Amino acid sequence: MNVLKAKQNKFIATISILLLLTIILFIISLNLGVVRISPINVLKTLIGMGTARDQLVLVDFRLPRMILALLIGAGLAVAGAILQGVSKNDLADPGILGINTGAGFAVILFIYFFQGSMNSISTFGTFLMPLFAFVGACIAALVIYVLAWKKGIDPVRLILVGIGVNSGFGAAIMIFQLKMNPQNFMQAAVWLSGDIWGANWKMVGVLAPLILVLLPFAIYKGHILNLLNLGDQVATGLGVRVEKERRLLLVTAVALSGFSVAAGGGIVFLGMVAPHIAKRLIGPRHQLFLPVTAILGSLLVLLADTIGKNLLTPTEIPVGIVVAVFSAPYFIYLLMKAK
Amino acid sequence: MVSLSTENLQIGYGDKIIVEELNLNINKGEITTIIGANGCGKSTILKTIARVHPAKSGVVYLDGKMIHKIPTKEIAKKMAVLPQSPEAPSGLTVYELISFGRSPHQSGFGRLSNEDKKVIQWALDVTGLSTFADHPVDALSGGQRQRAWIAMAIAQETDLLLLDEPTTYLDMAHQLEILQLLEKLNREEGRTIVMVIHDLNHASRFSHHMVAMRKGKLVKEGTADEVMTHEVLKIVFQIDAEIVKDPRTQKPVCLSYDLIQKEHQTAKQKVVNI
Amino acid sequence: MRENEIQQEGSSLPYMKKRTSLKGTSVIIFGLILIILSMGLSIAYGAANIKLATVWEAVSHFNPDVTSHQIIQEIRLPRAIGAVLVGALLAVSGAVMQGLTRNPLASPSIMGVTDGAAFALVITLAFFPAATLLSLTFSSFVGAGLGVMLVFMIGAYSKGGLTPVKLALAGVAVGAMLSAFSSAIALHFQVAKDMSFWYAGGLTSMNWGSVKILLVAGGLGLLLSMYISRSITILSLGEEVSKGLGQNTLLVKSLGVIVVLVLTGAAVSVAGAIGFIGLVIPHITRFIIGSDYRWIIPISAVLGGLLLVLADIAARMVNAPFETPVGAITAIIGVPFFLYLARGERRGL
Repeated sequence: MNVLKAKQNKFIATISILLLLTIILFIISLNLGVVRISPINVLKTLIGMGTARDQLVLVDFRLPRMILALLIGAGLAVAGAILQGVSKNDLADPGILGINTGAGFAVILFIYFFQGSMNSISTFGTFLMPLFAFVGACIAALVIYVLAWKKGIDPVRLILVGIGVNSGFGAAIMIFQLKMNPQNFMQAAVWLSGDIWGANWKMVGVLAPLILVLLPFAIYKGHILNLLNLGDQVATGLGVRVEKERRLLLVTAVALSGFSVAAGGGIVFLGMVAPHIAKRLIGPRHQLFLPVTAILGSLLVLLADTIGKNLLTPTEIPVGIVVAVFSAPYFIYLLMKAK
Repeated sequence: MVSLSTENLQIGYGDKIIVEELNLNINKGEITTIIGANGCGKSTILKTIARVHPAKSGVVYLDGKMIHKIPTKEIAKKMAVLPQSPEAPSGLTVYELISFGRSPHQSGFGRLSNEDKKVIQWALDVTGLSTFADHPVDALSGGQRQRAWIAMAIAQETDLLLLDEPTTYLDMAHQLEILQLLEKLNREEGRTIVMVIHDLNHASRFSHHMVAMRKGKLVKEGTADEVMTHEVLKIVFQIDAEIVKDPRTQKPVCLSYDLIQKEHQTAKQKVVNI
Repeated sequence: MRENEIQQEGSSLPYMKKRTSLKGTSVIIFGLILIILSMGLSIAYGAANIKLATVWEAVSHFNPDVTSHQIIQEIRLPRAIGAVLVGALLAVSGAVMQGLTRNPLASPSIMGVTDGAAFALVITLAFFPAATLLSLTFSSFVGAGLGVMLVFMIGAYSKGGLTPVKLALAGVAVGAMLSAFSSAIALHFQVAKDMSFWYAGGLTSMNWGSVKILLVAGGLGLLLSMYISRSITILSLGEEVSKGLGQNTLLVKSLGVIVVLVLTGAAVSVAGAIGFIGLVIPHITRFIIGSDYRWIIPISAVLGGLLLVLADIAARMVNAPFETPVGAITAIIGVPFFLYLARGERRGL
């Protein structure tokens, strides 16, 4: 009984620290930017007593972007955790399995054919590209699933098929990207490196409900992931309908990563690294490990976005790049420390 | 009373038939062991009963009901399955592993009720793992690890336990420890146990009922005295065995044995000898 | 019974060997014939179409006064040879990589080689815009070396030693980090498009100098990889078994990393990051011939060379007169085949 208590306490402590860090970062991030706004003015603005300019910068630009960063981070991290659990491969993440590249290809097609409607801040333009990305992610996932299906889904086959589909979309991206004019090319390159763009409240309004439904669902399914991790035989013996649950979890992971990629571009590595770090912190039981993964993902993306926006102002570094630069060394450190 | 039975069970992989026309009855409250040479289909039978590998034809009955008509979670409340050398994800603690055995009894998030916690504690005590509760499973020794898995299976609180070679990779003392634990569960809790086991003398000593298989067919079943005979072992393993009574347990023991040479080879050897 | 079994084994083993070696030899011979034919095609096809007979003439009786002979000797022949070599080098390097890490996801790009080369290249492009082709080649080779050194050192200096999983994970992490740096630099200094052409891979600038580099590196790498091929097969049974069988696993792994470095470094520095070959050809080879690396390595070389020379022809044909990135073509040819194999019978590594 004490054992469980100890773990629970550790879980609560870990979550609290991560949440605290996220909140601190959130406040710092609100202050920073091309226009610096002091904490007092931030507070004033948030309760509706700030200047019109502060109001515009904070409420219309900064806040939605930061909230998107949190949502995207949580979504991608949990999607990666689910994929690692389902495929039983430590290298699995939405990027390696071709889901990101599927979305990327759709976006490249969009930029290639419909460039122009994108620069306008019309509602149409804002929603069409994420929609394309999401459809692309879904198509990629569907292709992978159909091709990997053979009287059931075998984890190794799933990964192999994922690699193949990933390479196929990657090649297609390359062909179209090289045919673009320099301006479109840059835009595509930035998107592929991961970039929170089109950050406005409408986008938040679309993404937030979706992610906030899917995340609890994933955590709710945590106990199933635990059992699947013991192997198909043991899981069946414990009363899990392995095939059905695996499909459900895959769909959840695809939806999470599809929505996240739609808003955040091709952020690679996060889906792999956040679950690894979380596992080191709290162990492999998914009820504890998935929430930690989610918060960790949020924290990482928010941190990366804050740094990317402010480090080389006015040049913005795409958030995906910053995620990799910062989390890779920590990941390597963990790797070297582990037995 | 019959707990588990199979009717004309036929199992195979692809076109290859592994087990044919199997009619098996497992009695409630007994320990049944399945013996046979490597590749005779012992593990396959367990996999089919455990609904991991579907049968080609025939039916498995659990408590008189067709098993494929029962929801899988209901089955998991009646029958626990432990496959051969299972693997736990790294970092998982013993306590957590055992708690997974409670999952058929839980709904929703998998929160442990007080009842669950009691059962887990009991499983820890009975397997002697209480002091290892917070150790990671992958840091345990072979015997401890196997006990942890058995603890998970018994935490499932089922009347029926299926175990596939629960004593492989263990030394003599640890093998005995596991088997005595199973015997205790059978005697004190009335659990029905079905296991595949390679050590004939252990099978003889610990089981009420023995089932001998050869090439997918049932050769002989019955008490240890009926199955552990010179003739049956000759058919099942192609060995020439010397069977004696264990003075301590009064059970038949295979004292010594030799391989039976194929006839043409013996003939050839004779020629060489001459 | 036991004697019987031994006898059976005794009789089946040479038989199996014979079948594998027959199959292997015929795949190699058949592949080489196809390569020579495709090279002929590759040389004949281009902006100025040349007859196959002329190709043969240019090789056998070179006449410097004939323009088409000049084109063949100076442009098309090195390009065709270069394509075969680059393909072979990448495929072998991938096969060794997968054998060492025992992970089907492993490929040269996962060992930090490609990303290291790209990193060095983007720095050269960004800070020394006037760099010559030779210095670009040199810098990407150095970068490839640094990338692989980094991955290997992380693995070697970590607590539990150099396990396959760790090597793969370290490779991904280092790769992600280096490529992030490269992207940032590329975006900031506006050299992203140049880099993208490099990432797409290209055989346009192939000349006799590059062929020499490939020949030296390839010869060395192939010899070394054949030398350790048996050990890699044994290593794929697992670290402990292979130690038990008297293998010096650290030595094998170190040599393997050197092989990967030399082969990929050379290929990447002259032809850019041509993906897919290193990942997929070893899988295809394994589906054909099984798990013996003494066969996997030479057959991977042949199939890799064949795929790239064909892809190069296709790259020039698809959207003539423009060249389509050859890396994209290798993927488009290879992906359907790979998917077909992945769905088929499952083979271990």
